[in-house]
Amino acid sequence: MSSAELGQIAVNALLLSGILALVALGFSLVWGIMNIVNLSHGAFIVLGAYLTFWMYAIWKIDPFVSIPISMAVMFGLGYLIQRSLINQVIRAPLLATFLLTFGLEILIVNLINYFFKADTRSVQPAYSGTGFTLGPVRVPYIRLGALFVSLALVLALGAFLNRSRLGRAIRATGMDLDAARLSGVKVATIYGLTFAIGAALAGAAGSLLSTQVAFDPNLGGPYTQRAFVICVLGGLGNVVNVLIGAALYAVIEVVVGSRLPALSQAVTFGILVLLLIVRPQGIAGKGFY
Amino acid sequence: MPKPLRFLLFAVILAGLLFLPRVVSPYKLLTYTTVLCLALMAQGWNFIGGYTGYAAFGNVAFFGIGAYTTGLLMLSKWQLPFFAAAPAGALLAAIVATAIGLPVLRLKGHYFAIATLGVAEALRQIAATWDSLTQGATGIDLPVRSDSSFFYYVALALVVVGLVVTALLERSKLGYGWVAIREDQDAARMLGINTTLFKVLAFALSAVFAALAGAIVAYQNIHVAPDDFFKVEYTLRMIIACIIGGTGSVWGPVLGAAVYQLLSTYVWSHFIELHPTVLGLIIIFFIVFLPRGLMDLFRRLARPGPKGRRIWRDLLLANVRASRVQ
Repeated sequence: MSSAELGQIAVNALLLSGILALVALGFSLVWGIMNIVNLSHGAFIVLGAYLTFWMYAIWKIDPFVSIPISMAVMFGLGYLIQRSLINQVIRAPLLATFLLTFGLEILIVNLINYFFKADTRSVQPAYSGTGFTLGPVRVPYIRLGALFVSLALVLALGAFLNRSRLGRAIRATGMDLDAARLSGVKVATIYGLTFAIGAALAGAAGSLLSTQVAFDPNLGGPYTQRAFVICVLGGLGNVVNVLIGAALYAVIEVVVGSRLPALSQAVTFGILVLLLIVRPQGIAGKGFY
Repeated sequence: MPKPLRFLLFAVILAGLLFLPRVVSPYKLLTYTTVLCLALMAQGWNFIGGYTGYAAFGNVAFFGIGAYTTGLLMLSKWQLPFFAAAPAGALLAAIVATAIGLPVLRLKGHYFAIATLGVAEALRQIAATWDSLTQGATGIDLPVRSDSSFFYYVALALVVVGLVVTALLERSKLGYGWVAIREDQDAARMLGINTTLFKVLAFALSAVFAALAGAIVAYQNIHVAPDDFFKVEYTLRMIIACIIGGTGSVWGPVLGAAVYQLLSTYVWSHFIELHPTVLGLIIIFFIVFLPRGLMDLFRRLARPGPKGRRIWRDLLLANVRASRVQ
């Protein structure tokens, strides 16, 4: 392997890890606070991608400008879903929320399929495909922009959870539901907001992905799986863990993808299962946010 | 229901099912065979997911192993008959389940669920890439057998065996051990239950059932390809069948499989494009309102007490009242 090839692999892994961190961020928050593995996360990502696609197709809104709009829409939808459905069974055994979100995923993906058809789409603004070269290594502008947006959102969520009153209430609810309730936290509202933030972050990830990959209604499933693997690799409990997990996963995916593309998932899951058995709490994880 | 009446009902239903191939068209019979195969898979999942409480999300792996082993042995130079190839597939599935189960069953909750999901996905990729054995993504073609009642009777016999096995195990040391693990694994271990052994047995038994269903479906479809025989949808269907009927009960998986598959066939033939939406709505409805399934609903309805519209509201809202946050 030449040094140029190595450099390109490193840059690709870095750019990939940015978007993957955002993909996993909302998933990790919902899992850490509410102990829900949200299998409809991928469907929210797809919805974000379609929102950006339609805003660009109809009103020519730049995909980066449409991110806040798609986040706002997904925030509202996430809050509604959480309050009306998930909060109703949140203390039931684990299989219940697991299957409930799986049912939601099937439903949302099928409805997208029904209304928007299974055509492959992509968002290509004027600057897509452009980039700059750094020695022998190529850096596309869109992916670099996505990396910055992802990092900004990761840091913003970290600051929100650590510094703001609402963020601390969210963390308190994740640590001890009853204690939080006794301190005057409205738990149902907090759960609703947490899930809504998770959905909004998924929407942002979808908006960014729509400019990087061609997508169809089934884009989400593999990203839900990636989000899970990232959370396991990095561990729950802190936004920094998501960054660590995403970086590790990106390296695995880029290296395995260039060597054994047909067995990429077999290798990735092999690593995952081994890691789970050796260290179930992740590489740097604690239980909570 | 008193016991003699129950046996009588069972005998009547069984006699009706035995005569079914004589009165319905071969196409209709195909639907009923599908119901029986789903019931078989659901019965298997019930051991690990229902009684032992481990949310196995990868049982389609054993379905696929059963299908491929049966097909490959029937096509091999020995040309094994179906009744030798299918048990071989079941045995291989049990061995694989034990090998996978020993490490993976140490995981709990979400981790176990996703790990099993990943194992199934990995097996699909292996089946799609191992060209010299499985002919890759093209798949393999089995010998043709055209009498559709053959598959129906084989599946029916296995489902009846499954019912008997479940009923016997439910009242055995093994069955009680599974339930103890489900309710509190640490307490079960303190009581002297070899939890690893019990869990692996449940997992292997669920693999046997899934593999036998895979063998039947493979022989009936005469073509086995990785994308058809390792799809997550099969896992989902067996879990949904169990949930609809009632997990951790003898009749639940069979009842759930019948309700789900007949409903699904109806939806499929009338609103093909929205089929998954309806599937999603069924899942959501049962998880929110009837997570313990129809068997539990019947049991609660049979209880003495006031009847009328209010009782229905109470029955449907009991779960939400117990598990929501406010």
